[in-house]
Formats: sequence, C-alpha cells, structure tokens
Amino acid sequence: MAALPFELAPAIAALPFVSFLIALLVGAFAPRLLPKGGAIPGILATAGSLLLSIWAFVAVSGSADGMYHEYITWVAGAGEATLDLHFGILLDPLSTMMLIIVSLVALLVHVFSLGYMNDEGETGLPRYYAGLGLFTASMLSFVFANNLLMAFMFFELVGLCSWLLIGFWFREEGPPSAAKKAFLVTRFGDYFFLVGVVGVLATFGTSMFVGSENMEAFPHIAEQVLAGEGAVEVTTFLGFEPQAWFAVLGLLILGGVVGKSAQFPLHTWLPDAMEGPTPVSALIHAATMVAAGVYLVARIYGFYALLPQVLAFIAFVGGFTALFAATMGVVKKEIKQVLAYSTISQYGYMMLGLGAGGYVAASFHLLTHAFFKALLFLGAGSVIIAMHHNENMWDMGGLKEKMPVTYYAFLSGSLALAGIVPFSGFWSKDEVLYEAFVHGLNSPLLLGAYAMGLLAVFFTGFYTFRMVFLTFHGEPRTDTARDPHGVGWNVKFPLAVLGILAAVTGLVNMVPVQKLLGVEGIDFLHQWLDAGPEVLSAHHYSTLTHDFAHYTAGTIGSADLTVLLSAGVSLGLALAGAGAAWLLYDVPEPVRHTDRLGRIKTVLFNNYYQDEFQVWLAQGVTLPVAKAADKFDQGVIDGVVNGASSVSLFGGSRIKRVQTGVVSNYAFLLTTGLIVLLVAFGIMGGWF
Amino acid sequence: MWIEALIAVTLLSAFAVFLSPDGAAGKLAFALSLLPLAGSLWMYSTYEASGNALLAGSELAFEETFQWVVAGDYALQWHVGLDGISMPLVALTTVLTSLALLASWTPIDERQSQFYGLMLFLEASLLGVFSALDFFVWFVFWEMVLVPMYVLIGVWGGPRRKYAAIKMFVYTNLASLVMFIGFVALVFGLGDVNSFDMPTVAQALRGGELGSLGPVGPDALKVAAFVAMFAGFAVKVPVVPFHTWLPDAHVEAPTPVSIMLAGVLLKMGTYALLRFNFTMLPGVAQDYATIIALFAVVSVIYGAMLALAQSDLKRIVAYSSVSSMGYVILGLVAYSLYGLGGATFQMIAHGLISGLMFMAVGVIYNTTHTRMVSDMSGLASKMPFTVTVFVAGAFGYMGLPLMAGFAAELFIFLGAFQSTVLASAPLFTAAAMFGIVIVAGYLLFAMQRTLFGPFEVETDYEVGHAAFHDVAPLVVLILLVVALGVDPGIFYDMIQNAVDPLVKTAGGGA
Repeated sequence: MAALPFELAPAIAALPFVSFLIALLVGAFAPRLLPKGGAIPGILATAGSLLLSIWAFVAVSGSADGMYHEYITWVAGAGEATLDLHFGILLDPLSTMMLIIVSLVALLVHVFSLGYMNDEGETGLPRYYAGLGLFTASMLSFVFANNLLMAFMFFELVGLCSWLLIGFWFREEGPPSAAKKAFLVTRFGDYFFLVGVVGVLATFGTSMFVGSENMEAFPHIAEQVLAGEGAVEVTTFLGFEPQAWFAVLGLLILGGVVGKSAQFPLHTWLPDAMEGPTPVSALIHAATMVAAGVYLVARIYGFYALLPQVLAFIAFVGGFTALFAATMGVVKKEIKQVLAYSTISQYGYMMLGLGAGGYVAASFHLLTHAFFKALLFLGAGSVIIAMHHNENMWDMGGLKEKMPVTYYAFLSGSLALAGIVPFSGFWSKDEVLYEAFVHGLNSPLLLGAYAMGLLAVFFTGFYTFRMVFLTFHGEPRTDTARDPHGVGWNVKFPLAVLGILAAVTGLVNMVPVQKLLGVEGIDFLHQWLDAGPEVLSAHHYSTLTHDFAHYTAGTIGSADLTVLLSAGVSLGLALAGAGAAWLLYDVPEPVRHTDRLGRIKTVLFNNYYQDEFQVWLAQGVTLPVAKAADKFDQGVIDGVVNGASSVSLFGGSRIKRVQTGVVSNYAFLLTTGLIVLLVAFGIMGGWF
Repeated sequence: MWIEALIAVTLLSAFAVFLSPDGAAGKLAFALSLLPLAGSLWMYSTYEASGNALLAGSELAFEETFQWVVAGDYALQWHVGLDGISMPLVALTTVLTSLALLASWTPIDERQSQFYGLMLFLEASLLGVFSALDFFVWFVFWEMVLVPMYVLIGVWGGPRRKYAAIKMFVYTNLASLVMFIGFVALVFGLGDVNSFDMPTVAQALRGGELGSLGPVGPDALKVAAFVAMFAGFAVKVPVVPFHTWLPDAHVEAPTPVSIMLAGVLLKMGTYALLRFNFTMLPGVAQDYATIIALFAVVSVIYGAMLALAQSDLKRIVAYSSVSSMGYVILGLVAYSLYGLGGATFQMIAHGLISGLMFMAVGVIYNTTHTRMVSDMSGLASKMPFTVTVFVAGAFGYMGLPLMAGFAAELFIFLGAFQSTVLASAPLFTAAAMFGIVIVAGYLLFAMQRTLFGPFEVETDYEVGHAAFHDVAPLVVLILLVVALGVDPGIFYDMIQNAVDPLVKTAGGGA
C-alpha cells in the first residue's frame, strides 16, 4: 500500500488535463460559463499539481527506497515473446524536482497570461488555455514516465502542444508557419528517437528506466552486459558488438534530444517559435518542450554514462551550440530573439555538463535556468505589454523608471543568465564548466568542448547586458517608450516570485564554497540527487563515467586552486562581457555598434544562413524531387497502365475483324482450331 | 447463423432502400445500417475464439459449414467464421458504412435510393469477404464488391468518373483473374485434397502436401502461385507500382465512396495477402522477404513523396493511403508477432483515420466547393469546429501517440525491426519509418495553407456551414481513433492471438 501522496501521483498530470478538457468543451459549447476564458481552471489545476508535486517530493525523501514506482500495462498482447509495452510512474529525486519546476512555471505562466492575454482582450482564450493545460499535462506525464516508450509518447504530445500554441495567432501568416517549422524540425529529431525506442525495445525487451518485479531497467541490463557480469545477454542487430550497438542506440535517442532541446543543427525552429504568445515562450523555454530533451538525457544517464563516444559527442554538441548561439544573440534587434538564442546557448551548457560527466551540474543548471529564463521571458512579456507589442529594443530605452518591478526582476534574471555571482546562474554554470574542465584535464578531447563553453560566457555577458541597457537604460527612443502601458498585479506577481528565485536558487548547491571553505553539507542538490535508488543516484553515475568512460578529475596545482581558477575565469569573462556592454550601451543615446562588424554582422544576423539551408533542403530539394516523382508516376507508371489498355483496345479493334459474319469463314476457323487442339493434346499425351 | 443473418439483413436492407422513395432513402439507409452495426458490436461483445481461422487447433467464433454444391470430386461448401483477424475488420466495415451513409446526406442529391441501396449492397459484400472461409464463397463476395463500387464511382462521381470507374474495374478485375489462376493452380497441385475450403487448403499446403501440376514441380508451383496471388492482391492494396488507379478513383468518387474505398476496400487486399500468401505459403514469403520488403519501403516513401507533390486535398489523402498501406506490407513481410499483429491493427487504424480524413476533406468541399490547396486559406476562422476535427485527424494520420495510428505503426516497426526472416531488418525498418517525417511535412504544409492565415476562398459559391450530420461522424471517428490509441487492446489482443500461431509454426522471430 503506497502512501497517500504517491496514490495521488497520477493527478499531477491529470489535473491540467482536466483543465484542458474544461477549456475545450465548455469553451466550445458554453463559453460564457468559462471563468476568465479558462484561466481559472488552469490556475487551480496547476496549483494543485504544484502542491501534489511538492508533497511527492517530500514523500520521496521520506520513503524507504527513495522512490515510488507504479507499473500500468498499456498493451498486453497475446502469444509468445510479447514485449513490455506499458505506462508507469516513476517518482524519484530527479523527477520530483522536475515536476516542481514544471508545475511552478506553468502556474506562474497561467497567472501571467491573465495580464498578457485576458487584459489585452485576445480572442480564442479557451483555445489558449486548453493548449496550456494539455502542454502542462503532457510535460508532467513525460517527466514522471518510467520508461522510454511512454516518454516518447508524451514527448510527441509536447510537440503537438507547441504547434498549437506557437500557431495560436493563426489568422496571421507568421505564426502558422513557425508552428509548422517547430513541429517538423523536432519531428525530424523524433524520427531518430523513435528508431532508438524501437531499437531499445528490440534489444532489451524493455525500455524501463528502473527495475521492477516484472522487468529490469534497460540501462542496468546494458551495464551488466558491458561489464560482462552474469549471464545477461541481449540481442544486437546488424552485426554490431554490444558496445557499438548501444552507442548507436544512444545516438538515435539523442536525435530527439537535439531536436527538442534545440541543439545544433536542429535549433532553427526555436527563434521562429517566438511568433507564439510570450507566456508560451516562457513555458516552452523554461519548463516544457526545450527542457524535455536535456531532461531525457539526465533521466537515462545510467545508459549514456556507459558510452564514452556518445558522451564526448554530447559534450561537443553542447559546447558548440553554447558558443554558436551566443554569437548570434549579440546582434539581434528584438528582445525575444535575444532570449531565444540565449535559450539555445544555455541548453548547450546543460548538454556540455552531461557530456562531461556532470550529471548534478547539468540538472542544477536545468533548475536555475528554468527560473531565470521563465523570468526573463515574462519580463520581456511585461515590456512588450508596455510597448504595445513592439518588440524592437531600439524603440525602447529608459523603461527603468517607468516599470521598476519589471526592471529589477529582469535585472535579477539577467545577472543569473550572465553568470554573475551570487545569482543562481553563476553557481550552476560554474559547476558545469568546472566539471568539463577537471574531466578535460585528463580527457583532452573534452577540453575543446570546455573552451567553446568558456568563450560563450563572454558573449553571454555581452548580449545579456546589451539587452538590459537597450531596454531599460538611457533615454526613451520612441513615444511609446516615453509613455508605456501599465501592467497589473498578475504580471508583477510572477515576476517578483521568479525574480527572487533567480537570485537565490544557487544557494541550494554552493559546491565551490563547500570546497574552498570546507563547510560540509551545503551541496543540498548534490545530496538530493544522490539519494533515491542506487541505480539512479549521482554517485552511481559517477562510478559509471569513471569505469566506462574513464572520466577522472584532474587538478591544476591543488584542488582548491582548480576550483578558484575555474570559477574565476568564467566569472571574469562574464564580467568582461557585461562590462563591454556597459561601456557601449549604457549611454543616453546608444548607437548600433554591431554594425561595425560589417559582413560578420550580416552573417550573424542571418543565423549563419542555417535557416536558408534548411528551407532550401525542404523547398529546393525535397519538393522538386516530389514533383519529379509525381511526373514520373503520371507519365511512366500510369502511362504503362494506360498504354496497356490502349494496346488491348487496339488489339480488340483488329481482332473483331475476324467476325466477318460469313459462315464458311467461321467453319474454317472452327476446324483449324480443332485440329490444332488435337495435335497439341496428341503431343502432350505422347500419341505420336 | 449470426454471420448469415448479418449479411442477409444488410442485403435485405439494400433492397428495401432500392425500393424506397428518393427523399427517404438516406435516412432509411442510415437507420437500417444500424442493424448490422448493432449486430457486429453484439458479435464483438460475445466474441470468443482462439487461434487462426486457417490453422488447425483453433476455435472460431460464429462458425458455420454446410455442403453447397457438389461438382465432380469437388465439394463447394458454405463456410464462414471469424477469428481475431476478421472480427475487427467486420466491426470496421459496419462502423464505417453507417458513418459514410451519414456523410452522404449532404453531397448526394440525385438517384438517392439507388445510391444508398448500392452502399448497403457494398457493405453486405464486404462482410462476406471478411467472414468467408471457403474460397469460392469468398471469391463470389470479392467480385461482388466491385459491382457496386463501379457504379457508385461511374454514376455519382466527378467529371472524369467514367475513366476512373473503368480503370478501377478493369485493373482490379484483371488482378483478380491472375490471383484466381494462382490459387486454383495450388488447389490442383494438391491433388487429392479436392477442396476449396481455405483452412483445408492452408493446412495441406503448410503440411507440405503440394505435388506437381503438369510439368511444374511443387517448388516452382509455389513460387508461381505466390507471385500470381501477390500481384493480384497488390493491385487492391495498392502496392507501388500497381497504385495508379487509386488516386483517379478517389478524386472522382463522391466522399462517402472514398471513405469506403480507403477505409475498407483497400484492406481487402492486405487481408487477402495475409490469409492467402502469408498464411498458406509462408516459406515463399520468407524466401522472397527482401524483395517484398523493398516493395513495402518504396510504397511508403514514394507514396509519401507523391502526396507531397499534390495540390488537391483529396489527392494528398489518396496518396498518403498508398504510403500507409506500405506499412502493412512491411509488417506482413516481417512475419513476426508484432509485425503481423501490427499490420492487422494498421488495417483498422488506417481504415478509421483515412475514413476520417476523406470525410473531413468532404466537409470542406461541401462548404467551399473546392479542394485545391491554393484556392483557400484561413478556414479556421470560418469553420472552427470542422477545422479542429481536421487537425485532430491529420495528427492522427501523422501517428500522434495515444491515437490508433501510432500504436499500429509502433507495432509494425517493432515487429519489422526484430524480424528474423528479413536480412538487415533494422535498415528496412528505419528506411520505412522515415515516412513519419514526410507525412508530417505534407499534412502540415497543407494545413498551414488551407486552414490558417487570413481567410480567403476562391470559389463562385458562397461558403456555407457544415451541417450537424456532416461533423457528427467525424467526432465519432476521432473518439474511436483515440480509444484505440489509448487502449489498443480493444482489438489488438484478439489480433495477436490470431497471428501468434502463424509465427509459431513458421518461425519469424518475436
């Protein structure tokens, strides 16, 4: 008999799903009965999810084995050799932490939407809140999934919801196009993910994350196989050895991660997705869709930790994406565009952390980023309300005095994003870079990824404060900026909550302080992720990366010096970037300094022509091929069919001349036929 | 007894509708179609059977046998019965027919009693195809299907209806002939079995009793018969390159006929492939697995590429059927538990989803009088309800999880990936799976252009509103698709129970 909070676990996802149904059905048939266009049911549902998540979080820490696991059959099937296709709920330290993040951000986004959507008199509110509800429900189900198949299913539903919400303003041209791109690009990644899921099920017969009485967990089976322990055997395919085959599977699953978490080269959908309502952007970037990819890697880290090549690949993709996206953020004009590229870049850090063996560090950054990025987007939303939906930063300026709550909250988020001590982003980003650095000292390949991540810190500091100064400092550059639209409590309240969280969340894991000052026990997050079942614990993962990927921590001089060096360099670069922005943009009349970059700016502004390349692939290659195939089909294949019928029609018109109507002709033919038949039978029967 | 009653009631209903006045025919036909629907649902609820209808040691539901005609050594018998493969198809037929009849009310406005009568006649023939277990009985029903279909397209179709109807009739009829010769050759090759009873023939063939036919030895005879039957059924499915009759037929056919064509008629082909080729000659199927799998992959990818090139909504859906049916072939050729099971489940899933899509396109056509993607945009602001349903259907077609298509495709992919009969099975599977990206591409493009953006329709008619009886069947279909996606076991358990003996006795991995 499970404890009460665990029995209620399905409700964590079911509540927002009910709010989706309410908004959908009541909105369709009796819209007047729907309070605030569906916002109230949504707020109540997400608040309920948040409370239940917190309750589950507490209960997990108190439970005997540190987790709760429920197993629900999806497809039983019949016959021999059935596979393990099921749903299930896994509550452990990682998933309960993520549940709290998701439900908290979703709740604040709902509240903020009252100001952003309801107060602005948008139409289609039930559709909007239905989308938010389904989005939240899908993401929560994804988070507590206990197996890869279920995770994939809700991963896809998250994609559907992003399509619905990015394309919310469907009467315009831009949003539907952006929605399509988001779904299509992530679907491309999900294709690989699905092949991976099928491969995992075919290989291990299960896709469980954690063992149960029915079946072992697949990462654990893989670990036993690679360690050569016991009599565990798996089927590999295409003649691969287990090690190589697992790496193939790992890379395939990674396809979905790269798509959803907007890593290079599948990041192109994310900046376009800014076409959606800003609260949706906050939800997508901070807590749901984009977070899903990185969370998935953390969820099955026991599998990835076995595969050194894949880890190195993850680290490189992450490091490269962090730098690549940060450079593009430097030249953008629109506030949400800057934030979009910062999201891509920050998820790059998380990937870098995971690839470098920093499971806790990456989860830490996932946590802090969720708060400061939700904050920044909602702050941007507040600015956009004030600016009457003009997003161009060059039209702003001087908003600091007009909207102090937004300003200080936004500043808190910016300091966190830039990684300035003591704001939350500093601690988590520093830990990611520290892990990459120390492991890189003994695995030089990682140092390359680390270097890219480090360089990105400078750019991050620069674009972040360029954005802050252009938006809030200096003189107002337009009439709207001189007299901005006011915002209500429903905007300020979420900003205030997140502003505080962005400032203080770093305190949950002050590892450098612990190391340098020797204060024991303040790495709470580390301890938290180390609790729970052995196979899902942080120390188990570090054993795996040590044994299988041979990750060991190196030092420069002493351990303390290494910590100081790593933190000092990254903080120094962040400050240098912020300082450069301060010099250039914190002036009454800032000018477009990036224009001096000349052609480089053009390249950056056009996102390295990545989008053009992908659009070309779709419209310049795929479509003409499809047209050619159509022509071939109409001309050749159908041509043969029609040709055959013409031939038979022609033949028929000739043969019918045999029917002359002259009896003697028929008699002749009859006799000839009979003779031919007789001869034929005779030959076959051996009469001659 | 029950199957006979089901078919007889449907036939009698058809005659009643033929004789009814035009104005009442639509409502009468729909009301009468609820009888076989209720009957099949009752049969489903009391269904108790195990094993495969054609193999020994199985227990059939509603089985009935009696002597019919004795001709020389050959006794033709009436033999019907259901197993886990045919039961879902019978249910699919009755459900889709009732909904298609409802969807006929708006577009069909002339010669109504004949139209509705033919639709019910079509239903009766289809029920016969899926329940017959004697080859001759089966073949009579198989050919009976073509007659109403030919007339329905040829009389109530679009401008090029004659061409499309004749093309469909001649092409598929020619294919039936080839298939007929193939099967009869097998029976003659069996020598003293002297029966056209499908289970008897199947068990004799699997037992290796095939002898020579004239100068042709048993091995060559098997291959020749397999090829003849495969070609015959491949036209019906249709498998690329035998598919060109399908888009023509769909484009000309009125909406309800398209629903039946895509939803049920195509499944006759894959059903027959499973019953004849893959049940009776598993050895040949496995020997030539690579070639058949190639046909499957080409159907999936090429069909999807063709759909991408179309600018008529109905043609898009028509070509995507070619692509989806390719998955069924892939599942069959994998010859594994999930492959065969998934293939059968996909017949049901695709039946519902393609019916849904044709119906949705029909509703759009009824209200806008155009189907061209370039002629309309922003429909969502004028007809939110229809568009919502269209979107749900399109995502179902893309294989969105928790909808039937995802479950079906997942089973097929699992079965194909693990197939032991297919060399490099994972590569074939991965290649075919790329279809899920292309399908998302063309449906999303089409939706973006037609449903969203500023409202605009280029047509001489005034854009109307969809009637309740137009959208109600769409909602029913969506609920069914979601129900089957959330709990595939509604049909999947019985399906897997029926395909398991095939795999067990012929071996093809899990």
